[in-house]
Amino acid sequence: MTMTSASVSPASSSRLQLPRIHPRLRLPLILVAVVLVAPFAVPPLLGIDPNAMSVMERFAGPSLNHPLGLDEFGRDRLARVLIGAQASLRVAVISALISCTIGSLIGLFGAYFRGFAGFLSTKTADVVLCFPPILLALLVVTLMGPGTKTLIWVLSIIYFPAFARIVYLEASRVSQLDYVIAAEALGARPRRVMFRTILPNISGPIIVQFSLTTAAAIITESGLSYLGLGVVPPDPSWGQMIRGARAYMEQDPLGIVIPCVAISLTIYGVNLLTDRLRDVLDPKGLSGGIPILSPRRRKTPAATVPATLEADTVLRIDNLDVTTNRNGVAIKLIEDVNLRVRRGRCTALVGESGSGKSLTASSVMGLLPRGVTVTSGDIMLRGQHGQAIQVTTLSGEGLEAIRGRDAAMIFQEPMTALNPVYKVGDQLIEAAKVHRPVSANQARDEGIAFLKRVGVNDPERRFDSFPHMLSGGLRQRVMIAMALSMEPGLLLADEPTTALDVTVQAEIIDLLIALKASAGAPGILFISHDLGVVAQLADEIAVMYAGRVVEQGPAATVLGNARHPYTRALLQSMPAAHEELHASRSDTLPSIGGTPPLPHERPAGCAFRDRCPHAVPVCADERPDLTAVDGPAHLAACHLATGRAA
Amino acid sequence: MARSVISRLASALTMLFVVATLVFAIQVVIPGDPAELLLSSAGSTPTRENIEALRVEMGLDRPLAQQYAEFLWGAVRLDFGSSLIDNSSIGQTIAARLPRTLELIAVAMTIAVAVAVPFGTQAALRVGGRLDTAGSGVSAIFAAVPVFVIGTLLILLFAQTLKLTPAGGYADFVTAPMQHLTNLILPAVTVAMSIFPIIFRMTRSSVLDSLSNEWVRTALAKGLPRRAVVRRHVLRNALGPVVTVIGLQLGILLGSTVLVEFVFNWPGLSGYLVTAVEQRDYPTVRAIILVVAALFIFINLLIELLQMKLDPRVQL
Repeated sequence: MTMTSASVSPASSSRLQLPRIHPRLRLPLILVAVVLVAPFAVPPLLGIDPNAMSVMERFAGPSLNHPLGLDEFGRDRLARVLIGAQASLRVAVISALISCTIGSLIGLFGAYFRGFAGFLSTKTADVVLCFPPILLALLVVTLMGPGTKTLIWVLSIIYFPAFARIVYLEASRVSQLDYVIAAEALGARPRRVMFRTILPNISGPIIVQFSLTTAAAIITESGLSYLGLGVVPPDPSWGQMIRGARAYMEQDPLGIVIPCVAISLTIYGVNLLTDRLRDVLDPKGLSGGIPILSPRRRKTPAATVPATLEADTVLRIDNLDVTTNRNGVAIKLIEDVNLRVRRGRCTALVGESGSGKSLTASSVMGLLPRGVTVTSGDIMLRGQHGQAIQVTTLSGEGLEAIRGRDAAMIFQEPMTALNPVYKVGDQLIEAAKVHRPVSANQARDEGIAFLKRVGVNDPERRFDSFPHMLSGGLRQRVMIAMALSMEPGLLLADEPTTALDVTVQAEIIDLLIALKASAGAPGILFISHDLGVVAQLADEIAVMYAGRVVEQGPAATVLGNARHPYTRALLQSMPAAHEELHASRSDTLPSIGGTPPLPHERPAGCAFRDRCPHAVPVCADERPDLTAVDGPAHLAACHLATGRAA
Repeated sequence: MARSVISRLASALTMLFVVATLVFAIQVVIPGDPAELLLSSAGSTPTRENIEALRVEMGLDRPLAQQYAEFLWGAVRLDFGSSLIDNSSIGQTIAARLPRTLELIAVAMTIAVAVAVPFGTQAALRVGGRLDTAGSGVSAIFAAVPVFVIGTLLILLFAQTLKLTPAGGYADFVTAPMQHLTNLILPAVTVAMSIFPIIFRMTRSSVLDSLSNEWVRTALAKGLPRRAVVRRHVLRNALGPVVTVIGLQLGILLGSTVLVEFVFNWPGLSGYLVTAVEQRDYPTVRAIILVVAALFIFINLLIELLQMKLDPRVQL
């Protein structure tokens, strides 16, 4: 989506830079600090020997001297649960450190030297991962006997492969990046490249894995101690305390609950830290997908205009506003757009990324991203039986009924617009089967016929292919066939050629031109940033900039006598020669610097003025409206064009 | 297709061979004589004759290569020798106990999947909603509680306090089916709770990822009803990672049920293993670990094959 891609900053590198503690990390860090420090700091303050027994007072309830009471041997529970924490934490942190060091080294060497070292490092990890962790631990305990030292080795062996794997993958990724290659080219030694260049750049995932491993090690340690195979009595550890208290469960449920809560709280704290670290180091945010299930609330107090549509028109958009919310402030993404698509004709919507052209098309389909709504204006669509449909008032089911049947859409990326797990034919006829009663065989025949119509060779075979077996051009043809398969009155084409090779681009354009000339052709709303492509296809053109239409009119007039400086800039950046079409794929304007303002940063006055070579003072004060220039059909929103700037 | 199946099979077998070698090698690599280690763990100082006798019994007096060959050949025939403690056939004991462990895992996994997958899906479809918050909260709590703690607390609540279920034990299904099932409930629920967070989270994030795929927009744009879009173009594609994590968990469970079986006195493979570890019955430990690792590798192989079926792009 053009809107989201513009708002996502490129700061996705997981480099660790913590000048100050991130607010989301404060709570878990405090929790973890308490859990880590308390077991070592509090017992000396209490001054109670955790192993001192007073059998007479066994199972004594909480008192001032013994805040948590006494256990089955009359030992102080608070002292024991804290000392138990010492053993668990020491084992967990030390083994996490060892496994982190060993694993990271193996992964780093494997990724940097590749070849045999790479093979070895991934394979050792694979072999160890073949054993369920607890079993591996038991195997080692059998041979070495239980005890703290054994535990540390066991846990280190269990957890180093995960480090090796993560570091290997991350380091392989990073070592392909420019600055690593540059460091190598400058003659930096392997050791320097590995530890000074690569390692700092993958520290994020390593820290997350370390935190994860510490929690896992606490769990495994307590489990083994619970089985009597970990920390050996009389040293207290949580697992062992639960094991001891189990026998007295009936008389003394508290004895079991206390260490249970202690373990769980500790792990909860570490887990919370892990989750938050992950969020902070690798911010992905909520994906801005199209809401599927959320109820479609009507924002427009539906000024139920009698649904009328001129006889030759299949789509009319009147005064469309599309808005999103950012921190409670409404931001207009599209403002006051008016458009019309005539039957069998093509209207082109032109502009850079973020100009709002794709959102306009999505509004027609009712496919706006999460949090983006139509707040005013009307969208009128010609229905299958000639009736006029007011799209903005439709419910979810109503929209489902018009999608595909009355308005169909093709997208920019044919690579990702088809579901890779189904055959293209099945996807082609899927909607037809839903919209009308056809037998499977009939649908298949129709599907093949449509493939043939869009110029697919050997359509029977292609019908049964999976998308990954087809080239980009073929896939786009399949998408077009899919869109045409229900004979819609309106075809929305959102940059359908941008992602394709030049020759294939030309083929698809030719296909659309032929489609336009055919009988019963749909009206086409063609969205593009490339005036070269538009010139071949469009009957009418609307140029969008920063959410508004800045120039609009018949194609010949707009192209031949462009009045808005932005349109002229677009025309200048048109590749002169055909083979230069490649340059236009980058979706930027080489002839003028800068980028369009983000929706929430649009200035007062003319939004284009910062990039405009002809800007005058009035452009900053007053926003130009679309006004007729050299004829009623040709409109431009520029003070220069209307003579106001003179 | 057939070729990649064969090559996966070959790589699984290789892995199995490596594991078997490793299990055998540990005994060689560990410092000290296993027979002496074994006997001295009992507390008393063993005599030379005792050690020699045990060495002969364990076959340690034979050349290493011969020991290795015999071990491998035995493993291939599922003949793991006999226990050092009571001379019983290890293979037979495993055959009796393994099904009980597998039953526990199967029931627990069924419960976990039946709850976590729909729950995770709904949470993702209404991301940020109440259900999503609840699910994330529950899984954060479950993930923080070790499995034996869950078991112990469930016993405390349901067996000790409410007296609804037995605290543990086992009854044969053929002779006492009801008893068998009531004994099964708590351990199965315990295991299910412990794996719930992993499956829930994976389902949730996988469905979320899947929702942002462009073909979902295509499916919506062609007018498919929402249900069909969710089922065919969201869930179907989200399945892969979920299946992988379920398989991985199945493998890990083969180990971590040790704790649950111990908590509930469930006479599966694990009780046998723990006793063997305590008594340092090395041949038994070795055999159990080999069997479990083989199952683990086998499950992974199945998952890989299933993955190829799920996604036509996955090829070797």
